[in-house]
Amino acid sequence: MSPLFMSFLLIVGLGIFGRTMYYKLLLLTALEPADRLNHITDRIKNMVVIALGQKRLVGRKKEWAAGLMHSLIFWGFCILLIRSLNLYGEGFVKGFQLPLFGQEYILGYLYIALKDIMEAIVLLMVIYAFYRRLILKPARLHNTWEAYFVLGMIGVLMISDLLYDGARFNLITLHNNPTDLHFFNNPQFGPEFIWTPATVKAAALISFLGPDATGYVMGAMFWLHIITQLTFLNFLPLGKHFHVITSLPNVFLKSLGYPHEKTKLLDLEDESVWEDESLGINHIHQLNWKQGLDLYTCTECGRCKEVCPTYTTDKPLNLHDFNDTLKAELFENSANLIQRSKLAATLNPDGDEEKNQAIKAQMAELNSKKALIGEVISEDTLWACTTCRACEEVCPVTIEHVPRIMAMRQGQTLMAGVYPQELNTALKGLERNGNPWGIGYDKRADWADGLNVKLMADDSNVEYLLWVGCAGSFDDRTKKVSAALVKILQKADISFAILGTQEKCTGDFARRVGNEMMYQMMAQENIETLNNYKVKKIIAACPHCLNTLKHEYPQMGGNYEVIHHTDFINQLVTSGKITLNKSLEGSLTYHDPCYLGRYNSIYDQPRTLLQSISRDDLTELDRHGNESFCCGAGGGRMWMEETIGKRINVERSEEIVGKNVNTVAVGCPFCLTMIEDGMKELGKEDIKTQDIAELVAKNMA
Amino acid sequence: MKILTTVKKVVDVELNIHVTNGAIVEDGLQYVINAWDENAVEAAVQLKENSGAQTTLVSIGGGDNTDMIRKCYAMGIENGIHIEDPALAKADASIYANVLKKVYEKGGYDLVITGKQAQDTDSGQTGIMLAEALNLPCVSNVISIEVMDDQHIKVSRLGDTGTEVVEMALPAVVTVSDSINEPRLPAMRGIMMAKKKKIDVMDLAGLGTSADEIGCSSPKSEIAEFMESKTRKAGQKFEGDAAQITAQVVNLLATEAKVF
Amino acid sequence: MAKVLVIADIKQGVLKGSTAELLSKARAIGAQTAVVAIGSNIESLVPELAAAGSDTQYIADDASLDLFSAGPYAACVVDAAGQFGASQIWFGFSESGKAAAPRVAAQLNAACATEITDVIVDGDKVEIVRPAIANKVVQRVKVNTEQLVAVVRAGAFEAAADITGTENPVKLSIPAADLKAVIKEILSDASGEIDLADADIVISVGRGAKDQAGVDLVKDLANDLAAGFGSSRAMVDGGFMAHNKQVGQTGKIVAPTLYMAIGISGAIQHLAGMNGSKTILAVNKDPEAPIFNVADYGIVGDLFEVVPILKQEIKKIRG
Repeated sequence: MSPLFMSFLLIVGLGIFGRTMYYKLLLLTALEPADRLNHITDRIKNMVVIALGQKRLVGRKKEWAAGLMHSLIFWGFCILLIRSLNLYGEGFVKGFQLPLFGQEYILGYLYIALKDIMEAIVLLMVIYAFYRRLILKPARLHNTWEAYFVLGMIGVLMISDLLYDGARFNLITLHNNPTDLHFFNNPQFGPEFIWTPATVKAAALISFLGPDATGYVMGAMFWLHIITQLTFLNFLPLGKHFHVITSLPNVFLKSLGYPHEKTKLLDLEDESVWEDESLGINHIHQLNWKQGLDLYTCTECGRCKEVCPTYTTDKPLNLHDFNDTLKAELFENSANLIQRSKLAATLNPDGDEEKNQAIKAQMAELNSKKALIGEVISEDTLWACTTCRACEEVCPVTIEHVPRIMAMRQGQTLMAGVYPQELNTALKGLERNGNPWGIGYDKRADWADGLNVKLMADDSNVEYLLWVGCAGSFDDRTKKVSAALVKILQKADISFAILGTQEKCTGDFARRVGNEMMYQMMAQENIETLNNYKVKKIIAACPHCLNTLKHEYPQMGGNYEVIHHTDFINQLVTSGKITLNKSLEGSLTYHDPCYLGRYNSIYDQPRTLLQSISRDDLTELDRHGNESFCCGAGGGRMWMEETIGKRINVERSEEIVGKNVNTVAVGCPFCLTMIEDGMKELGKEDIKTQDIAELVAKNMA
Repeated sequence: MKILTTVKKVVDVELNIHVTNGAIVEDGLQYVINAWDENAVEAAVQLKENSGAQTTLVSIGGGDNTDMIRKCYAMGIENGIHIEDPALAKADASIYANVLKKVYEKGGYDLVITGKQAQDTDSGQTGIMLAEALNLPCVSNVISIEVMDDQHIKVSRLGDTGTEVVEMALPAVVTVSDSINEPRLPAMRGIMMAKKKKIDVMDLAGLGTSADEIGCSSPKSEIAEFMESKTRKAGQKFEGDAAQITAQVVNLLATEAKVF
Repeated sequence: MAKVLVIADIKQGVLKGSTAELLSKARAIGAQTAVVAIGSNIESLVPELAAAGSDTQYIADDASLDLFSAGPYAACVVDAAGQFGASQIWFGFSESGKAAAPRVAAQLNAACATEITDVIVDGDKVEIVRPAIANKVVQRVKVNTEQLVAVVRAGAFEAAADITGTENPVKLSIPAADLKAVIKEILSDASGEIDLADADIVISVGRGAKDQAGVDLVKDLANDLAAGFGSSRAMVDGGFMAHNKQVGQTGKIVAPTLYMAIGISGAIQHLAGMNGSKTILAVNKDPEAPIFNVADYGIVGDLFEVVPILKQEIKKIRG
């Protein structure tokens, strides 16, 4: 077409793009390190399934149509990439074809057919997207000019290419190809245009034009396409569409630690860390590069907000805004951070100590002074989170929200010493008596009086340790669940014992509120006790205990096989050790606890049990399974007052009431308390809230 | 202003206390800072933060009080003295008061803040006896302390007929109620930094006195024995029709318990 | 023979019941009895003080003694004790008593015991019994000094029905005021309200009452019975009840003839404040509430239903 012009466009377009990308990448390298290049095969698998496969969009039942819409636009883009390369080639050499994609190969024909249909589909999807934003207006979407602009550009890209080819078609078939344009005409496969119906339709639209006009249209469309594409490319890094470039890497680099990036074990004995104030995240320069990449990648789709229990109940935790605000803060500090990183590179560990100190002082100067919590993000926002992970479950680009929030809480608790003071009673209780209620540790085994339960101290030669948890030991309501579980285990003749007064809180909530010191203290003491008894298998009655024992204790030397009681009971049934009677009357539903479902992927076992004991079929709540709605107690919120917005447990209880059931089954002591309280508040105590263990114990043969 | 606050290590009252052969069973017990003294420490730290006072704590007996004292450092107390001596094993309030008098005289303080009672003895005497021994004004059961100037403070106390507002001339002694404040959880950073701080440990000789001078050899009272408290037994519990059971109970209150 | 000096418990010009209780106990252990009354405009109380069981009444009556001040108070007691030759000096349970007793003991170089529930005199030997460690244990304490100063736990002693005394007033000289601790004002508890410490019946409201409507319902019952109206900590923290109404370990300790716990779960801290009551009635929706472990009579039910019925039924019986 015009090699000179093409070169100019490419040099300018790609040049600007390259520079923008360079600085964006440079900023990431200036942030804290993160180890994300392990287990390459797993990472590739994630990328293929989630990013390329658009699993969380087209694989999500909710909003499946919108999911399909985006997936088609995305796949269209991937497919049309080859077409774009081809067009660039055309700009230099007439009739340019990529190797293997020429008319000699069936692949070439197949490709042009595919390209043709995809362009039509993408165009239709763009129109649908406009319709959704303008007419349907889903609440979670941010209707910014940026969104329309990009959609518009995509539309233009499709239209321009179709019209370009359409013009070509007209010139070749209607006007006898006066400029001798190249087109596929392999006798084996036929002329190009029988493979491209969309192009033909587009051609029909401009068939009224004469050959000269058509020629102009063809040229105009070509350059429009190229210029739009280069503009589009350069627009991407500037806003939410950066995800077009960063989402694949972001998914590739996502944490493989289940269920998300594990809290790093802080070395609290290291004094320099206290003096340098480098624990947790209090300032933007403390983010690591993966967290920076997360900020780049937010697509502003708003799914996180939609499923967030705090946002739904009017608390000021808006994850989109959270991301956006941090991103703005990061960019504001971009120059300083890059400069700081350059200085760091000049440090010589073997060189002059004084010089190093001077450089370090200069680096400290470039640190962001703004306190993230208080000056950038409000405290209420940070502490509202229940760590339920619904946001992470639905995020199409696998942004890791919860670990970031926990790191910021660490910064607040450990360094700033600023956190909700209501937590003090619970934390003091933990320290003194190993439970958040502060009840004497010597009463921890009282619940088991008269139940003939073995203590590890008396006989540790048992197969399982039953980890009762604080609620199961001290909370009057939950003690009944512990008793029911014991009944089941004894019926099945399982060899087990409890730690009794030697058991201490796992420290789950301490960690969730950022108090690493308290968490490590509890963990250390428990691991010592468990290892002294050479415990191998643990049955946990509480999903929070389950999660901490299973996924977090290994960090500190505690490695055990941990199983949730619903999972274990299910195994007992399958192996015939206990038999269930289908004797539960009335309608029944199940509330998936966050820490059992999303954190530990246990969805089916409780359901199997419930189906076996219930006469009625199990009714599912709208928000169930991996999109279950949090009861509101996680993330340490059980020990804090809920003063803003609607109460989360009431919101969930209303949903349950709406299903007109007689019983709601749960698998977690927090959920049990919260939902029972919710029912009380709604005046619906006739709906019974029961733990699965209680239901099984009552319906056992 | 120099503030002296007292800190006693007591048994954790959340635990079950068992008595065998007239003595308390030590096995399984844990020891913690007296709750009212925690209030006293918090009050002292708040005065430091608001009025620039210097704070010192003193702890008597208890064995190894390092953890407890370090927690108080983490809360904000600047100096710590621990008086440990075998002669103090059976100390009572007046003996503690005598030891505190020696500590006070050594340091020259303006204000002594103690908890109103200790959770193990529930006596509530030591602070008041110290004031008497030093001939200082004393107000007990205080719920607020306000510095008026470097010679005067204004305190509120929960009295018998209401809240009494009292102006005190310094130096003075004040014993605090738990209603005065909510003791802070020691800051994590404070805990780490406190590890480096020294505690001034000494026996009675180091304090410049002797067991005889303090009165250890002739205690005014001695615990002869401990007994477990008689627990109240559950009585009769009635469930059913509200009108019926209430009438039943009222009847019993009149005829059986004879309260009406 | 022991000589017991009882400090009269006078609040706002009214002689409180604890005085008679302490004097009854003094008589019961065979002691000679006297009272010391400190305040302003209290001379008229002499007959009552005698009738409560004292054979001598030491009176310190002056305007300067109207408001409690530990220094002068203690000085009067020491004076009376000296004149009487008291071997035992007993204060009733009050904040003034708790503040003055240690001073008196220090000045007399005597043993001091607070919260005592019993005094055992065997010839020369004197022992007292008192609770300790949040009422979990009981101590028997040997007194080694010639004199004993004690503060008696609420409701520990019973007033004898037929007690009498002799009028024998002795005027005490008025001590100097304590210039180093001056009461500026008293923000009084709602005056006219029945004092929890001496009420025969105390009715306390807890979280089960939920809100002001519930609190008012229970208060109504208390008013009906001319009972003291108290509260669990929850309702004080919730802002429904004043501080001074809290019955519990860190609030007021009461030991009335009848204690009604309405909508109170029975946390240990609350129990510590009332389990010395003679008879305990509990009303609670939850049959498992710990309060039922100490209640003599427990009604499992909704207080909104039960309280009106209680009102009715009690009215029927009392007339």
